Amino acid sequence: MTAEVTTKLDDEAVRRPLTPRRVELLVGLTLIAAVVLACLVVPLINKTDPNALVAAPLQPPSGAHPFGTDQVGRDVFIRVFTAGRVDLTLAALGVIVPLFLGTVIGTIVGASRRRAVDVVTMRLTDGIIAFPFVVLVLVVVLIVGADTQIPPLPAGGASILVAVWVVNWTIYARIARARTHVLREEDFVAAGRLLGFSRRRIVMRHLLPSVWPATATYAVSDALLLVALIAGLPFLGAGIQPPTPEWGSIMYEGRAVLTQAWWISLTTAGVVLVLGTGVMLTVDSLIANPRRVRIP
Amino acid sequence: MLTTARVLSTRLLQVIIVALVVMIGTSLLVRLVPGDAARTILGDKASPGALDALRQTLGLDRPIAEQIFISIGRLVQGDLGTSFNFRGQTVTSLIVPALLVTACLAALAILLSLLVGIPLGLGLALVRSSGADLLGRLSLTVLVALPSFMAGLILLYLVSIRLRIAPAGGWAGSWPSNFGYIWLPAVALSLYLGPLIARTVRQAALETIQQPFVEAARARGVSRHRVIICHVLPNAALPVIPLVGFNAGVMVSGAVTVEAIFALPGLGAQLVQAMGTRDFPIVQGIALLTAVSVVVFNLLADLLNLSVDPRLRSR
Repeated sequence: MTAEVTTKLDDEAVRRPLTPRRVELLVGLTLIAAVVLACLVVPLINKTDPNALVAAPLQPPSGAHPFGTDQVGRDVFIRVFTAGRVDLTLAALGVIVPLFLGTVIGTIVGASRRRAVDVVTMRLTDGIIAFPFVVLVLVVVLIVGADTQIPPLPAGGASILVAVWVVNWTIYARIARARTHVLREEDFVAAGRLLGFSRRRIVMRHLLPSVWPATATYAVSDALLLVALIAGLPFLGAGIQPPTPEWGSIMYEGRAVLTQAWWISLTTAGVVLVLGTGVMLTVDSLIANPRRVRIP
Repeated sequence: MLTTARVLSTRLLQVIIVALVVMIGTSLLVRLVPGDAARTILGDKASPGALDALRQTLGLDRPIAEQIFISIGRLVQGDLGTSFNFRGQTVTSLIVPALLVTACLAALAILLSLLVGIPLGLGLALVRSSGADLLGRLSLTVLVALPSFMAGLILLYLVSIRLRIAPAGGWAGSWPSNFGYIWLPAVALSLYLGPLIARTVRQAALETIQQPFVEAARARGVSRHRVIICHVLPNAALPVIPLVGFNAGVMVSGAVTVEAIFALPGLGAQLVQAMGTRDFPIVQGIALLTAVSVVVFNLLADLLNLSVDPRLRSR
């Protein structure tokens, strides 16, 4: 009985045509999954302490140390994938909170019929979006302190998250507001109003479920922007503080010895690039691509 | 012309709001530091006399509202204060040379992105082989996914260290020879915006080609080349203006980190130094200048968009 059901489902899965867009999505998700899995699994299998001095400094990649060793003799392979846990966790936390906050705020503002609410929120988001992100993060880092540690986050993590949360809800709020403006003209919302549902119920049960997909799609590419931001901070004297391994600080330390040892910075960059390509492919597959036509 | 006035007023209002938010925020900066700001700045070994003197210069002995009014009053007059660490030097005199370096880098990168991105996008939309289109599209995807500072690291290794075509960072200090140092960072920075422009132009060109006016032009006997240059290109290049405007902030963020990699004496280097020494007035000045210039840049992009696209004006 169970076997029959499974085959039926499998058949249906096979029948869906493998369009280029689906290939794009599958390759994208595979690349993301590969990097995320490696960050989860590599530190579990190889229990070498990422800060342990395991070999001579600046050894090129070899069988024992696939990404070589750094300037004090730590294994770059272990460090890169341990670092991924920090970067990916921070990026996830940095995306989820603003995604939630921004979507709710944007939907409420979009559903509100008071012009003042709309104008004030939009001007506020304009002001925040205008700020170059890196500069704003640095200001917050300066206030909170570059090495302030709030457990369980690594030193420097708290100030990054605060800055990201302050800024990033604005973009989600704008997407949610635009989507709500389209949705509130739809029949199902009018029906809800005619049925005498409260505004609160219409926002929570009718608008929000349809607004989520739009903001969540943006969240995918936003996570990549955050990884780039977090990894760029050590070059500006901020970011996650050593010795906690983090992609940016590994690349920053590798920059100083780039002439003798390319593998420290560039293998790390390669891993981030694999993740980034996966994210971009996934996002592209979710966005419509116009048909290729020729000029007649 | 009604919309021009509206865009102008909305954007000008935005400039003022941004400037106000930044001014209030940065004036509060010293106040927001947990604990005693004077002690944080001078360190644990400072004498009580020095601490009191600093509190007085910072105005920490006065009420918050008064402090904000005083600093806004000074900022309106263009006075950004004096640096903590370079005694007697005004923030303006320290920041402006650095700002020029960053502005040159960003301008060069934007120029490069436009010069390469627009023809590349148009070419990809028109290329007959779908294999070439796929290859081009994939390379653009990979490049957009590459953060600017990582592009900088990779180029630094390949071009400066391996090929030895460019210096591995530094600055000449005088103008024509500075180009030798700035071109590679500009290429690194344009590796994000250029592909983004190419993707947008490709998409817009494909949409334009399907418009009836293109077919009509061909039916009237207008040559293929003329249709591409005079009908498709202007429409495909339009979305580039808001795209560049929208990415101005991203470009500043990118420029600041790329500078740090190539050791250019721009705002990035200033920020690193100010962060290390907790030089609040410098960070404050840079925050204000970059935020306001991004909004002004957006204003210019909007005005340019209105002046080249008559469809936006008629509405």
